[in-house]
Amino acid sequence: MNQSAEELNKVEKKDLFTSGHRACGGCGQALAARLVQDASGENTIACVATGCLEVFSSPYPDPSWRIPFLHSLFENASAVASGVEAAYKALKKGPVNIIAQGGDGSTADIGFQSISGMFERGHNVLYVCYDNEAYMNTGVQRSSFTPLGARTSTTPMGNKTRKKNMPLIAANHGIPYVATATVDDFRDLQRKVKTALSIEGPKYIHILAPCPLGWGHHGELTVEICRLAKDTGLFPIYEIVDGKMTNVKKIPVKVPVQEYLKLQGRFSHLFKKGGSPEIIAEIQQIANQNIERYNL
Amino acid sequence: MGFCLMEGNEAIAWGAIDSGCRFFAGYPITPATTIFNTMLKLLPPLGGICLQGEDEIASIGYCLGASMGGLKAMTATSGPGISLYSEHISFAIGSEIPIVIVDVQRLGPSTGSATRGADGDIQFLRWGNSGGLPVIVLAPVDVSDCYLLTIKAFNLAEEFRCPVFIASNKEIAMTRENLNMDAVDVPKIIERISPPTGKPFIPFEVPLESRIPYFLPIGGDVIVRQTSSTHGADGYITTDSDEIARVQDRLKTKLTSKVKRFSFHESFLEKDADTLLLTYGITARAARDVYQVCKSSESPISLLILKTLWPVPEELIKEKAKHVQRVVVVEMNLGQYVREIERILPDKTIDFLGQMDGRLISPNQILEALAHG
Repeated sequence: MNQSAEELNKVEKKDLFTSGHRACGGCGQALAARLVQDASGENTIACVATGCLEVFSSPYPDPSWRIPFLHSLFENASAVASGVEAAYKALKKGPVNIIAQGGDGSTADIGFQSISGMFERGHNVLYVCYDNEAYMNTGVQRSSFTPLGARTSTTPMGNKTRKKNMPLIAANHGIPYVATATVDDFRDLQRKVKTALSIEGPKYIHILAPCPLGWGHHGELTVEICRLAKDTGLFPIYEIVDGKMTNVKKIPVKVPVQEYLKLQGRFSHLFKKGGSPEIIAEIQQIANQNIERYNL
Repeated sequence: MGFCLMEGNEAIAWGAIDSGCRFFAGYPITPATTIFNTMLKLLPPLGGICLQGEDEIASIGYCLGASMGGLKAMTATSGPGISLYSEHISFAIGSEIPIVIVDVQRLGPSTGSATRGADGDIQFLRWGNSGGLPVIVLAPVDVSDCYLLTIKAFNLAEEFRCPVFIASNKEIAMTRENLNMDAVDVPKIIERISPPTGKPFIPFEVPLESRIPYFLPIGGDVIVRQTSSTHGADGYITTDSDEIARVQDRLKTKLTSKVKRFSFHESFLEKDADTLLLTYGITARAARDVYQVCKSSESPISLLILKTLWPVPEELIKEKAKHVQRVVVVEMNLGQYVREIERILPDKTIDFLGQMDGRLISPNQILEALAHG
């Protein structure tokens, strides 16, 4: 870690992921992708899984990528990134920042084994997950990051399972750096990207990226929803460096989960007449457990 | 359900339900997703199960497990997913596990054009298994076919204990059309045949005059053991060359020897025609127009629309092409099924019209190909 605190905390605006793409208004993923690429800088190769990000940012004549961009398949961004990294080593090229990136489907489900393989082999790659908690590109189907109670097209009565805890799964591979972030705090997100890229080995950053279309909220609420995700305790913000949890973001004033849920159409069935107060109570319990577990 | 308006994908789901399918697993992929959505509506009220896998490999694996458990099972995907299904397809062939697999084709390769149609997987469906053993592939032309051929696919899968594919296409899958379900001539639904009681169960022993072993679900009173390794009649791994050869031959001939029985097609033969137009899938609809136009012209043509693509209905094709000099094959790819026609009809002139740019082949293009070759 050879960057000064000042460098790490600077908000970077390099326009490496340009505007003019086809994302919906208020897309959390588009914002996150811009912050990630601007933080990593020109000396970066992006290995991107199939998903909304590829679809909205790569068609001609309005592609966003001003860095090398390798779109692969839904399941193999980590494997392809591993190959790019190995080739750089063999060719004695570099150093270069290699960032594998994908949504929650390609991270939690279909791409899970190739991420695990990349972590286990120790490739010098940063994996960024843009988590919008469902398969948005194909019409809002559930993923294993879909939270309890959320309605998707394949969980029309509300999702019955709890969200897979990917940051801890990543950390339990023994990789040197894991962090969570949201798109409301530019400085924090970019500091984490820069910190991750300064560390040798595999890294994982999990970014909550609300999707107005899939979550059923107004685009201008994307940032507000991220704040509420943190302040309810539903999305804890922390880093895990060499296995030790650090920089846990404390919640200034704890907010009941209803405040977060009621802004989103995907939870609206919980509040209707004959709704599911027991599900809301269970979601509150998840938040409470997080507050205790992470000491938020 | 009588007269209704539905897309091809919905009709496939209804066909599955009416065949007794009670298990579906899939993974989101356009243009196949609405099969999943429809099964999700239809299956639970019937006590069936509809599952989303964590990827395509898991989804088809679920189906094979459920089929071994005794349920009729179906999965649906498109090009990228059918590629991931490949090893499970081989497993289903070798272990003789009934399953219906829908491939709603979109333009490849790889992620390809999401989402434009094509018939680019036709050879892949046939050869996308290790070992190269035959499979059954049916190709619908319209929504009505989607319903009927799905029922036939289930019957064939259950009878022959093999994977059966529906080679659909984005254009049929996602276009709504009128369908009168009551007017569809639904065949008798075929169920798996249990072995006769009172005798020891030899899992892959075939009854006399048959090439298909009896089926027992896993987990019943009789212990069923299954392996994806090459096995003999007793179900255990075998290294005996003669026995291996017998099994391979049976897996092949159980389908190829019976294709006459399920050579589904439509044909329109003109007595004086010297040209046979041969096609399948969505392209058949342009070909029907061409046939009508030519019928009232000076040079009428004959038309053969194949709905069974694999195993190749060789006798049918030879019969229908008997009186023509020339066969014009039209398909939405760069030349796949035409290879079979060239192989079967070496003494005819075979011309080909193919297109793979996401657009449908128009009647005018076919007319031009007929005129200029």
